Amino acid sequence: MRSGLLFKLALLLAIFGILSSGLTGYYAYSANRSMLVSGAKDDLLTLVQNINRRLAADIDEATADVLLLARLEPVERVINLPEGAEREGAKDRLAQSFAAMLALHPEYLQIRLIGAADNGLELVRLDSDHGLTKRVTGLELQEKGHFAYVFETLSLPAGQLYQSGIAVNHEQSSHDAEGRPGLMVATPLPRHDGRPGALLVVNIDLAHLLTKPLADLPAGYQLYVANRWGDFLVHPDVSQTFGFDKGRRILMQDSFPATRPLFERTRRTLELSGLDEPQQSPGRIMAFARKPFGMGTGEDFVVTGLVEPLKDVLAAAVPLGQRIVHMVLAFSLMAILLGVIFARALLRPINMLAEAASSFSSSAQPTALPVERNDEIGVLARNFDRMRLQINNHMASLYDNQRELSYLAHHDSLTGLANRSLFFQRLEQLLQQAQHEEIQFAVLFIDLDRFKEVNDRHGHACGDQILQIVAHRLLHVVRSGDMVARLGGDEYLILLQGSFTPHTLDELIGKLGSSIAEAMIVAGERLTVGASIGYSLYPRDGQTVEQLVSVADNAMYRVKAESPGRRTYSSS
Amino acid sequence: MQIRSGLMAGFICSLLAWQPLQAKDVLRVLAWPGYADVDVVQTFEKRFQVDVEVTFVDSDEMLWDKMHAQHGPQYDVVAANTAEMQRYFAAGLLKPLNPAWLPNTRHQLPRFRHWAAIPGLQQQGRLYAIPFTYSTMGIIYDKRQFATPPDSMNVLWDPRYRHKVLDFNSAQHNFSFAALASGIDHPFQLSAAQQKMLVQRLVDLRRNVLTYYSLPEEATELFIQHRIALMFGNYGTQQLNSLRLAGADVGYAIPREGVLAWLDCWAMTVAASKPQLAQQWINYMLEPEVSRLLPLRQGLADTLTASGELQATARVLWLQPVENAGQREALWQKIISGNRPGNI
Repeated sequence: MRSGLLFKLALLLAIFGILSSGLTGYYAYSANRSMLVSGAKDDLLTLVQNINRRLAADIDEATADVLLLARLEPVERVINLPEGAEREGAKDRLAQSFAAMLALHPEYLQIRLIGAADNGLELVRLDSDHGLTKRVTGLELQEKGHFAYVFETLSLPAGQLYQSGIAVNHEQSSHDAEGRPGLMVATPLPRHDGRPGALLVVNIDLAHLLTKPLADLPAGYQLYVANRWGDFLVHPDVSQTFGFDKGRRILMQDSFPATRPLFERTRRTLELSGLDEPQQSPGRIMAFARKPFGMGTGEDFVVTGLVEPLKDVLAAAVPLGQRIVHMVLAFSLMAILLGVIFARALLRPINMLAEAASSFSSSAQPTALPVERNDEIGVLARNFDRMRLQINNHMASLYDNQRELSYLAHHDSLTGLANRSLFFQRLEQLLQQAQHEEIQFAVLFIDLDRFKEVNDRHGHACGDQILQIVAHRLLHVVRSGDMVARLGGDEYLILLQGSFTPHTLDELIGKLGSSIAEAMIVAGERLTVGASIGYSLYPRDGQTVEQLVSVADNAMYRVKAESPGRRTYSSS
Repeated sequence: MQIRSGLMAGFICSLLAWQPLQAKDVLRVLAWPGYADVDVVQTFEKRFQVDVEVTFVDSDEMLWDKMHAQHGPQYDVVAANTAEMQRYFAAGLLKPLNPAWLPNTRHQLPRFRHWAAIPGLQQQGRLYAIPFTYSTMGIIYDKRQFATPPDSMNVLWDPRYRHKVLDFNSAQHNFSFAALASGIDHPFQLSAAQQKMLVQRLVDLRRNVLTYYSLPEEATELFIQHRIALMFGNYGTQQLNSLRLAGADVGYAIPREGVLAWLDCWAMTVAASKPQLAQQWINYMLEPEVSRLLPLRQGLADTLTASGELQATARVLWLQPVENAGQREALWQKIISGNRPGNI
């Protein structure tokens, strides 16, 4: 039962330990995961914003180039001079400069000077053609007045810049630019008279702009870019881009419903993770940022987004998770050990108390108790010790009372001699003993003579004193191993052990008789009583208590009848 | 014995489970968004105690792909325009309809009951498609710039509105409406000479327009930003709402030369296993309560009620397959890219 309690307590402590270490471990693990994910979300957003900034920086660079080209000397001549050799010469020089710029910048697909006159007829046009520069001339030059980048740019004041949205170029025979997504950067070039003269436009390849950001992206990252209506411009699956071009809208807000607020302009950035928003971003971490784009109305923007698999981020949490598992296991083991140790330490004093209680009555030597402790167990031990002391005291007085009662039951209250019952018991014992070994003993029956007279004359108190004195004298005469008993009234019995000859017995009886017959001073008076003494011998006179006492009694009566005085006879 | 009773129980269970599937017929509908809204479908399901499965498409190409699935069309009824219907008939994908099972056609406007007059509805004397909804491609104009509504297609070429005109970027429609404007009777079947003449007309138009649009939102934005006077309304009356919402005071004109229009019809595919149910669906689509949802919810015209924009006498040219779509496309690409007449 004690081991049961030990087991339970140890189990309880161990469970507490395991639970607390397990919960701490789990909390640490999930906190680590959410920290990792939150960090990854922020990193992703930073990356997205970097891509946006990089795009903007690249476009800024292009606009700087446009302004640089616009300031070239031949530009002004082409715009203002009438048709003629001089103007053609300026066009040729301009074409050389355009070619140089085109060769320098692989991201530029076309550099053109487009006139405001003749429905936006191209004046100087350099195309990138399979990576080489190609000048387009003559009838090949096209009228571009109906394209937004032309009429929008021409409507701008001098020195301003136009930037188109990102679109697939559908202008036929534009060489490398044809069919490719890109954007235009342009600036208006007024004539001397202030009328619109021309515009200088550079066609930028989107794929080239994205080459560097895409190359810098870690594996597994997916880049998405959408225009302000949500149409994908960049998508890992190219067939999902420029859907509107194929008569089918494929929108970012349909593929990623969470991005809707970006298009409604209620938010600028968005971060989602499969850990925090499992429904909106299952198994992924996503970051999106809206970036103003173009220079027209200020209405245009793009939304750039990066998506990263959640498991890639969470993979970093795995080693820590494993460590935590090991730690939790180690702590659990420790908790079990500590549980056992604590349970044992806690139960030792209780066991001591229990042992003390169980050995309380059986052992004379009191068991040691942890009374010196200051805690509740110490109090319990001290109380138990006190209780043990009290019970011991009670028990001792009980034993005393018992002994007294037993004494009273076997002794004569007046003389303190053994009473008839004790005498007969002793006699019985001897008889039993005699069955096993050869022993002899004698039973003497003494009856006082003239006691009745003395009693009648001097009163009971006097009689009692005489009986006491006689008892005392009898005890004085017999040996210490012999037994003297008062049978009642003035009759005494003596049990003498040992072997006797009639002679030695007579001598002893004589001594007894004369000792009794000696005068005694009782209540100031000198009194004498005599005694008639009969005896019986074992085994000669009987085999039972009754026989032996009866033989001695009869002998006493014969003495009393024949010679009152100090004569003794045996039965024979 | 135990195995046999177990088998029996399993058999009964499977019978019970099979029961509801067996009990209801399923009608498979292939349609455009807005043609079979949930409430419309539920009413039909309740009335005829069937299940209806609706699949939506959002382009003619997608529709074509669905109709040409590996094992034939997986649909009982399909909604497509008259030009597409002719292609589907030619591909042997349609089943003829029984006019007796389509009593609601009597509610339709006379224009839509003259089946013979609408190419694509009848083939070899049998009815294959029933008109359901349509949209004309009229002229949208700014009422503030026009005292009286323009009445001719040629207004698009009017130099007074130079760079105040918007056109839709489409090879087929541009050739067709330019043909109409030039008085050609069969704008869907052009001769080589007509085509050549129209190229010049379209280059002229290019020089007169501000630009071309593809999406209705784009058109609205350009219209407002550049104070456009008029445009070819490819999306018809559907475009008016968004323009008015954006603040434009616009009108809609049907030119006297005639107007191009698409007409979506319902037809039954060869895969329809329950022709009666399929035609009950088509008939149900022509109930006034169902058809009137088209103008209410989609801004489209239904075939039952007369439209304010389209007079009964107006000449409507329902879209048809053109003589050579590829060639029109190739020419158009040159035109829109800015090629000069000598280089087309």
